[in-house]
Formats: sequence, C-alpha cells, structure tokens
Amino acid sequence: MAHSVTEADLDSRLDFLKRTQNADGGWGYFAGKQSWMEPTAYAILALKGSPHSDEAIRRAWKLAQSWQMPDGGWQPGSQVRESTWVAALGVIVASCLGCLDVAGPKTVPWLLSTKGQESRWAVRLASYVHLLKTDVNVTHSGWPWRPGNSSWIEPTALTVVALKRSLLWKSDHHVNARIRDGEELILSRRGRDGGWNSGNPSVLKYDVPSYPETTALALIGLQGRGNENLSEPLSAAEKLYGQCKSSLAKAWLTIALRSYGVAAPESVKVPGTPDILLYALQALGHPSGNYRFLGPGSPS
Amino acid sequence: MNRRRFIPLAGIAAGAGYVSWKSRQEPHISNGPPGNSAVTVIRAASYQEDLAAKIYEGVRSCGLKVKGQRVLLKPNLVEFDSATVINTDAAVIAAALEVFRKLGAADVRIGEGPGHRRDTYDLADDAAYRKTIPRFEDLFVDLNRDDVTPVRGFAGERQMYFPNTVLAADLIVSLAKMKTHHWAGATLSMKNLFGLVPGSVYGWPKNKLHYIGIPESILALNRTFRNTFAIVDGIVGMEGNGPIQGTPKHAGVLVMGSDLVAVDATCCRIMGIDPQKIEYMQLCAELGHLHEARIDQRGESLRGLRTDFKLIEDFSLLRLA
Repeated sequence: MAHSVTEADLDSRLDFLKRTQNADGGWGYFAGKQSWMEPTAYAILALKGSPHSDEAIRRAWKLAQSWQMPDGGWQPGSQVRESTWVAALGVIVASCLGCLDVAGPKTVPWLLSTKGQESRWAVRLASYVHLLKTDVNVTHSGWPWRPGNSSWIEPTALTVVALKRSLLWKSDHHVNARIRDGEELILSRRGRDGGWNSGNPSVLKYDVPSYPETTALALIGLQGRGNENLSEPLSAAEKLYGQCKSSLAKAWLTIALRSYGVAAPESVKVPGTPDILLYALQALGHPSGNYRFLGPGSPS
Repeated sequence: MNRRRFIPLAGIAAGAGYVSWKSRQEPHISNGPPGNSAVTVIRAASYQEDLAAKIYEGVRSCGLKVKGQRVLLKPNLVEFDSATVINTDAAVIAAALEVFRKLGAADVRIGEGPGHRRDTYDLADDAAYRKTIPRFEDLFVDLNRDDVTPVRGFAGERQMYFPNTVLAADLIVSLAKMKTHHWAGATLSMKNLFGLVPGSVYGWPKNKLHYIGIPESILALNRTFRNTFAIVDGIVGMEGNGPIQGTPKHAGVLVMGSDLVAVDATCCRIMGIDPQKIEYMQLCAELGHLHEARIDQRGESLRGLRTDFKLIEDFSLLRLA
C-alpha cells in the first residue's frame, strides 16, 4: 500500500540498511545474502551523511575497495573475479566519499578503455554497407555490462555519471570526449514514445516500448548537458511513473525527476521483500535523500 | 593479371564459393540418443480447469520420479503486462507446485531471472503469482540476484556463473509458455533456461548469451542442466511478434516430458512450425529427439491439435508443410 512520504520513511529505510549490513561490511541484494557491489554501493550513497553511519560506511568502503581488480575494473561481488559495469559505481561512491584519489587513477582509464563492441570499426563498416541488420546507431561508443559485449543504456548512463564526477578530481579531454559520445549514444537510442528501454528502440522494425527504470537511468546520465531540451523524455518519465507497477522502477524515476527539479510523486510503497537495492534507492530518492550523488556533482 | 595476384584472388573466390555451397546444403540433424522419448499432450481448454490433475496425469505418464528430490520450478516471467499472455500463467505454476509436492519432492522452489526487467518480485506480483501461490515469498528466488558459483566448460567459455539455487536443484522444471520469438522462431522449454543466467553478473539483457549466439547458448544451457523436465503452457500461447509484443493464441494444451528437445519439437508441430527448420532445435538434436518417429506421443494425438500460430515475415519459411 502506497502512502505520502514522511521523514520517518527515510529513517526507516536507513535503519533497515544499518540493520542488514553483513559482517564483512557489505550488503547482499537481499538481507542475509552474500555481499555484492551494487547493493553495497547504493547503501553507502544512501547512508552518507546520516547520523551514526560513519562506521558502517567505513566498513563497507573497505570491502568495496577490495573488489577493485588489478586491471582497474571492479568485480560485482566476492564470488565473481571479473571486471564489470559496477566499476562505474566504484567511481561514483569514491567521488561521494572524497576518495577519488584511491579509485580514480586505475578505474577511470579502465572505463575509458571499455567500449561496446558495436563501435568496432568492422561493425561500423558492416552497418554502413548494410551487411549488418541493426536498428541502432553504431557511430557512438557507450558501455557494456561486461567487456566484449554491446553498449546498453544502464551501464552507459552510470559510467557517464562516474566520468562526470571524475572531472571533479581531474580534468581530462579524453574523459570529456567519452562523456559527450556516451550522451550522444543515449540520445540516439530514445524510443518514439519519448523514453528508453534497455537499449534498442526498435527490433526488426517494430517499435519497442520504453521501460521506466531505463528511462530514469538515461535521464540521470544526461544531467548537466546545459541547454539540451529534455522536456519530452521528462514528460515520458512522468507518464511512465503513473503507469509503472515496479517499486524499483518508481524509485529510479523518483531520483531522476527530483534531479531535474520536477516535482516527484510524493508517495512511496513499503517494500514487500527485504530488497536492499529497493530500500537504498527509496532512501536516495527521498526529498531529504542523497539523490544528487547520482548527478554530475559540483566543484566544492 | 600476374600469378602473384591471381592465386590469392582465386583462393578468395574458391572460399566464397564453398561458403555459398555449404549454406545451400540441408543441415545435418543428429538422430539424438538411443531409444525414443515420451511426450505427453493433455488438453486443457482454460486455466479454470483442474490443472493439477492434468499435470499429475502428464508427469505420471512420462514416468518421472521426484521422491526426495529438490525441485526448482522455472516459469517464463518476462514483462509487466497482466492483460496479455507473455508470462507462464500463475494457475499452471500453482498446479505444478501441488503436483511435485504430492509426488514426494523434498523441496519445491520457484525461481526466475527475467531478461529485461529488474524488479522480479513486483513482476511476479503483477503476473498474479503472489496471490495465486500460497506462501509465495518463502518459495520464490530472484535468480538474477541470487548468490552464484562458477561452472566450468560452458560454450567454450572458461567459466560461467550460475545461481546457487539452480545448482542445488536435483530437477529443474521448465514451465515455459508456448510463444513465437522474433529472434529464435519459437521460445519453448529449452529457450526458457535463459532465465537461469544471473543478471547481476551478465546484465539486463544477458548480452553475453547473444555474443555466444542464441542457438549456441540454448544448446550450452541444455547441455549443462541435464536433469530437467518440461511443462509447456500452451493453453493460451502467443503468436506473431513474440515473445513480448505478439497476440494471444488459444491452443488448449499442456505439453510435458523429460526430453526437452522432443517436447519443444511437439509444441512446434502443434504451432504449425517445422522444428527441423529452427536453428537451435537443429543444434540441440544431439541432446534429444527432434524427429517425430522417435517421439512416443502419449495423451492426445497430435492429429486435430495443430493450430497455426501467425509468424512474422522473417520466419514465414518456418511454416510446417
């Protein structure tokens, strides 16, 4: 059952996160499960600045740093020894904790060296001469879930945010160029209904409808583009919020809308499961929450 | 033209000619393992019928023994759209749960890792699983966000990670939906195993599988997980631009068996699709029986059950003669 947002909603989400922290300092996707980078990163972002959370954050960040791989990427959890899209979360968290000097020197180059496979010259050539049947624009480089795969909206949007935040630590024209290209990729994949799905606005010439969570993430990635007119996708996001049946997607949409100063719907549904990601995102999207941590940041 | 230029050009021409000749050849389709496979087809006009009795009859007819086993029911849960027929119907899952408990399974769980949507619990809620299945929260596992363990030797990869709930199961029951598919031709019990791959490692969608190749991934998943049983929900399937944007198609059947190749081939024949023309079925023929003569049809006869599912233009050649 949904109800109007109160300060107690934020407190209850943060209390839940504190109660469910694992002994190793991280969080699982669900309370009591093994620690993973994604829920751990969002829990840190949600808890930052809240009373009596410094020790919880210190332990969590210590564990998260142990997931940084020798190649500069980050592994998604203790069991998976491979660098994936969660490297972007490592940079975002490091930026918000003022630790970019720890994560930046190796992870930013890893992010810059990682590209969707569709941007290889052979794929571009095949697309240019119509040998490749694809409905997407392959002239821009975004980010994949894992190296060696294609670009998708969610990893691209999160990496664009991470790189924007890395500029607060160190200005770099290569970083700026990849940010612009990543943003162009996001814009090129917008669907006819104004929003975004996972990454293909159409398949075999059939339009594919937008998803609320990916529309939210695309908007989050596009923050700080100056004069870019995003009124149509913001309207699509508001419309999707009204139709959306996913609590997780609503939490993402709330963060996105609030980040653009659009009045986010002031209601929230109590999670029906001990879903750490959902609790953390609801806390971030609260009017008093840390939703700005998922923005480009501003020089202090 | 001198000899130095002629030889490489002739080599390229010969290579292109060979590729062209090979592509026109009928693919070699394996005869599969020795013996025949049992597939049971049960008529069910609607989800209001006694589906537990029908599934019980089908499972018994196939000779499946599950006493003392840990069983994982794997539905096809894809999209928030309760008004249409994208997902395996909740009534079929509830009935299967009842049957496997009745047959003496030590533990029966339900698990799914949707390919695109992250909120698996709300997706299950929207598909009426929570309200139809008693104590659903205690039984259900989001396979996208479960703890994982690496498995070696998957489709030439050094290792592939799978959810611990999947690896702990003695039997995986693929509770698939009978649907057309805009990349694969049809999606049935074998393709349904895509949902065993964790999104937390491979993303949403699980793009790694696309790079391995959809047919090759289906083969690798079905090679990796051999203790399987299929129950395909063909009471109302999906035709046209499936697996998400198609339209409902009433076929009025449940199709069951331990040989997933044979079950899917039978489903295809009911849908008016030639299974031997579907690439992943050709590949998977080494695992089971694709040829009609090697399938012991039980329950309903296929005669009179064929109900042609509409195919998008790209797959019109799949139509069964």
